[in-house]
Amino acid sequence: MRRRTFLQSSGAAMGGIVFGAGPGFAANAEQPRRGGTLIWGHSETTQNLDIHGTATASTLRLLQNVHDTIVTVNHKFEVLPNIAERFDISPDLLTYTFHLRRDVKFHDGSPLTAADVKYTFERIKDPKTAAVNYDVFIAAQSFETPDDHTVVVHMSRVFAPFLARLAELGAGAIIPKDSGSIQGTKPIGCGPFKFVSREFGNKAELARFDQYWQGAPYLDGILEYEVTEPTVRLTGLQTGQFHLINDIPLERLAKVKADPALQVKTWFPLCWAFLNFNHAVKPFDDPRVRQALDLMIDKDALMQGALWGGGVVTGSPSFPSSASYDPAIKPRKQDFAAAKALLSQAGIAPGQLQFVFKVTTNYPWHVQAAQIMQAWFEEGGVKATTQQLTWADWLSQCWIHRDFEVTMMNFFTLWEPDFLYFSIWNTKGSFNYRNVHDPQIDAWTEAARRSTDPAERARLYKQVQARVHDQTHDVILWFRDGTVGARPNVGGLDQLVHPNGSNLEFRHVWLTS
Amino acid sequence: MTYLSRRLILFAITLLLITVVTFVLTNVLPGDVATMILGTRSNAVTLAALRHELGLTQPLVVQYAHWLGRLLHGDLGTSLIFKEPVALLLEQKIAASAVLVVLSLLIAIAIAVPLGIWSAVHRDRWQDMIGSGLALAGISLPDFFWGIVLILVFARTLDWLPSSGYASPIDDPRHALTYALLPSITLALSLMAHLMRMTRSAMLEVLSQDFIRVCRAKGLGAGAVILRHALRNAITPVLTVAGLQLGYLFGSIIVVESLFNYTGIGWLTYQALLNRDIPLVQATILMIAIVVMLTNLGVDILYTLLDPRVRLS
Amino acid sequence: MRAFRTPKGLLGVILVLLFAFTAIAAPMLIPGDLATMINILARLKPPSLAHPLGTDQLGREMLWRVLLGAHTSLVIAIAAVALSIAIGLPVGVLAGYYRGATDHALMRLVETLLSFPALLLALTISAVLGPSERNTIIAIGVAFSPYLARIVRGEALRIVALPYVEAARSQGAGDWRIVRLHIVPNLMAPLIVQATISVGFAILAEAALSFLGLGTQPPTPSWGLMIQASRDYLDIAPWTALVPGAAVAMTVLGLNMLGDVLRDVLDPTITASF
Repeated sequence: MRRRTFLQSSGAAMGGIVFGAGPGFAANAEQPRRGGTLIWGHSETTQNLDIHGTATASTLRLLQNVHDTIVTVNHKFEVLPNIAERFDISPDLLTYTFHLRRDVKFHDGSPLTAADVKYTFERIKDPKTAAVNYDVFIAAQSFETPDDHTVVVHMSRVFAPFLARLAELGAGAIIPKDSGSIQGTKPIGCGPFKFVSREFGNKAELARFDQYWQGAPYLDGILEYEVTEPTVRLTGLQTGQFHLINDIPLERLAKVKADPALQVKTWFPLCWAFLNFNHAVKPFDDPRVRQALDLMIDKDALMQGALWGGGVVTGSPSFPSSASYDPAIKPRKQDFAAAKALLSQAGIAPGQLQFVFKVTTNYPWHVQAAQIMQAWFEEGGVKATTQQLTWADWLSQCWIHRDFEVTMMNFFTLWEPDFLYFSIWNTKGSFNYRNVHDPQIDAWTEAARRSTDPAERARLYKQVQARVHDQTHDVILWFRDGTVGARPNVGGLDQLVHPNGSNLEFRHVWLTS
Repeated sequence: MTYLSRRLILFAITLLLITVVTFVLTNVLPGDVATMILGTRSNAVTLAALRHELGLTQPLVVQYAHWLGRLLHGDLGTSLIFKEPVALLLEQKIAASAVLVVLSLLIAIAIAVPLGIWSAVHRDRWQDMIGSGLALAGISLPDFFWGIVLILVFARTLDWLPSSGYASPIDDPRHALTYALLPSITLALSLMAHLMRMTRSAMLEVLSQDFIRVCRAKGLGAGAVILRHALRNAITPVLTVAGLQLGYLFGSIIVVESLFNYTGIGWLTYQALLNRDIPLVQATILMIAIVVMLTNLGVDILYTLLDPRVRLS
Repeated sequence: MRAFRTPKGLLGVILVLLFAFTAIAAPMLIPGDLATMINILARLKPPSLAHPLGTDQLGREMLWRVLLGAHTSLVIAIAAVALSIAIGLPVGVLAGYYRGATDHALMRLVETLLSFPALLLALTISAVLGPSERNTIIAIGVAFSPYLARIVRGEALRIVALPYVEAARSQGAGDWRIVRLHIVPNLMAPLIVQATISVGFAILAEAALSFLGLGTQPPTPSWGLMIQASRDYLDIAPWTALVPGAAVAMTVLGLNMLGDVLRDVLDPTITASF
């Protein structure tokens, strides 16, 4: 109930994520203590370690501690100085001047200067890098470094989301000059922890960086174990094998919260999820077919079934507290009659449509959701078979090669509306693996970049959402709750979660024993 | 030509054929090496260039020759997902699996042989029923199911042992044992069952032989008779079964290590297959096949040495 | 026939008949919806009068799923064993009958394949072809064929040496005739024993493949898949693992018992492999 009323009153830029706490939370009001290695049971496997190349929330969760961004945001998503202690924007929004701090060091001890920032930005802009956030610099014409601690970015046209997007790692993390070639194997940055090692599919190790400009973190280091099986992860926490885990299995959340021996933090939202159709594959290029499949899904039941109530059904993927969130977009109710009618309009007879629903085991609740949807599709006269893929396999097949018919995915850290709408629904967006090509959406997302009026931008993004819903380009399914569980000796949990709701900042965390 | 030298030549031929089969199998794995390497930098141009560079456009026979050549020089390539030399990965994981294999063999032999003897001695009586029944049950249950039951009992309910993970026996021997115990017991279970049945039937055969009856008639105690004479004669078939079962064991190890997240060769093979890491798949499959073949060869030789009556052609 | 009157024989026959009946009858008697009906409100319910064997994580009745799972297992196992015979029989007969160079060459190939653990071979083939019910059959069938081939060869060698077969050959009877009339019929006994035991192992192999995600895919009611899905809920819903596990155990147990008894009846000299 609390969440629903909260959503309806959005419009104002209230606080970003809403935190809830388990009963054990208050137990840790002790003083921070230096020392100890935190053992973290991570719910996903990390992938590409190159901060510019990686698109996975799992890797970002780790790299959040290795890199630091030029600017940052608070929980209200106001852009704040970070590595840049001051930034000026010209009135015409064509010139951004960043004044860098003088005390920032990289992990190899070298000081961070304007040359590093210029290198970083140019690397992202360079098409050869194939950076996920390449479009952040699409309007950046030139980078100047009048002195060692000043960087000037000249834009060829207004690019409104520029500053906000620099608050996210993919665009704003500053790497040392010429370090591009090693970032994939040994990431180096200026964040609170140094990268030590990573064993793919198994674990990673980070060590304290004493010369971190905001002060060395309390922990000596972090040992990240990639444990994708939810119960193994939870058992690890309960037996003390892990100090902390993210993503408590939702069907056990109530029990875990009631456990006085554990601390639990929940927050909303962690991510949002949607059902995808490959627009380059017939008949999914036909909006009637897509809408028919949408009509077969009972979103509330699906959310209950896959998330055990740990989420909220939504028709809009915008961050709930942002101005572009549109509560008026209601997900379609389940209606088999209407669905079948649409299918026959599209020339598809009952039982004729068959497809493979690819789903990744990286998110076990997706596998559940797929099976639930499959049962409904069958009721609607559509034969779907699922295919479970590993994360790496899904990324290779669906993301890179776009070889799929139907799949589903969730997205994290997309609080910035341009990051969200452009990347996902613009024809040229880096996350548009579904081959969505909608000239209207292209026009609106471009216009939103050039608009200097926040209200106008919000309006444009609302139009995009409405169109996505009308045309059923994808089916928005839910927002999911985030959870973190920790042993009693872990302190600093209230500052652990980044405002984007997904990344974890271990520099605030300490171990009391 | 002596038996041994004939055997060795056959061994060499089989070895070569193993490399051929491995190469053929892994080259029809879908999932593109080039895509795995380039990741998000993949597009038609870069993929084509990399494929050419990797020699993937040459005829298969040529590729095989190059691959074999590299193998003989000890170059096993680099893992696409771990981004480390495959040889290094294998080295690390072999030690882990060796612990499991040795431990499970010990457990299996320690339980199965006495049980088999006990059953044979009390043939067709209730002891035999129980023993044989247990053995039959042992080979009928999937080993991963056993593993799950063990996890349920020992890790979740009793909390005596961890349900997943691995520690190196060199760096951390105490923890190494706790992590290896449940997987070893799981592996040992079906091994135990086969071993028990074999021991029992070998013992039965020996016990029915005349000279045993003579010993008994002469008044030698039953225990002494069994231990001294029968066991010695029963060793050969038991060894054979143990050896042959190793082949099966290396299949089971994949499932069991994955179940327990025990990072050994089996786990590595599974990760490689799942993620289409072709260089790693080639190396792990090759290694397992060679180990199994060597084991079979070893058992053959041991068999010949132990039983002078056998000089098979 | 006396062998069948032992407890082992009786139990084996009963279990196998039970399995066969369930496998054949279940899809016909149980309406499709019952097994796939997802009922979120009734998830992970323990066995009770309302839910005889409990429900799984999506609220589906374990009872229907485990019964239908028999059908999946039967189809895959029998098809796989049939495939392994289709490949292994000709190879074994050719090697055993012609001996000499043919035998050496074929046996080299068979020995090579036998160096790859059956499960590993099946896993690789499944990864190559892509996981599905059909490909699971192919994977297991191909993986089992070398074992079949070796046994058939051994038997063929023995049969070819029999006096009356030698006689037929010296009388100039055609090879194909001899194979058809003398070799193959004499192979039937050991083949039946091996096939029975192989079906059991095929069921175990399919369960392992599905458990590793390289076998049947959801929502197929497959015992291996059910065990895989149960991993997450072991402590709160152990029946989701125990029910399919018991089903596999009973079926394979029955098949092994039957195989043992058949061997005693048909030919005690056979040692079934694996």
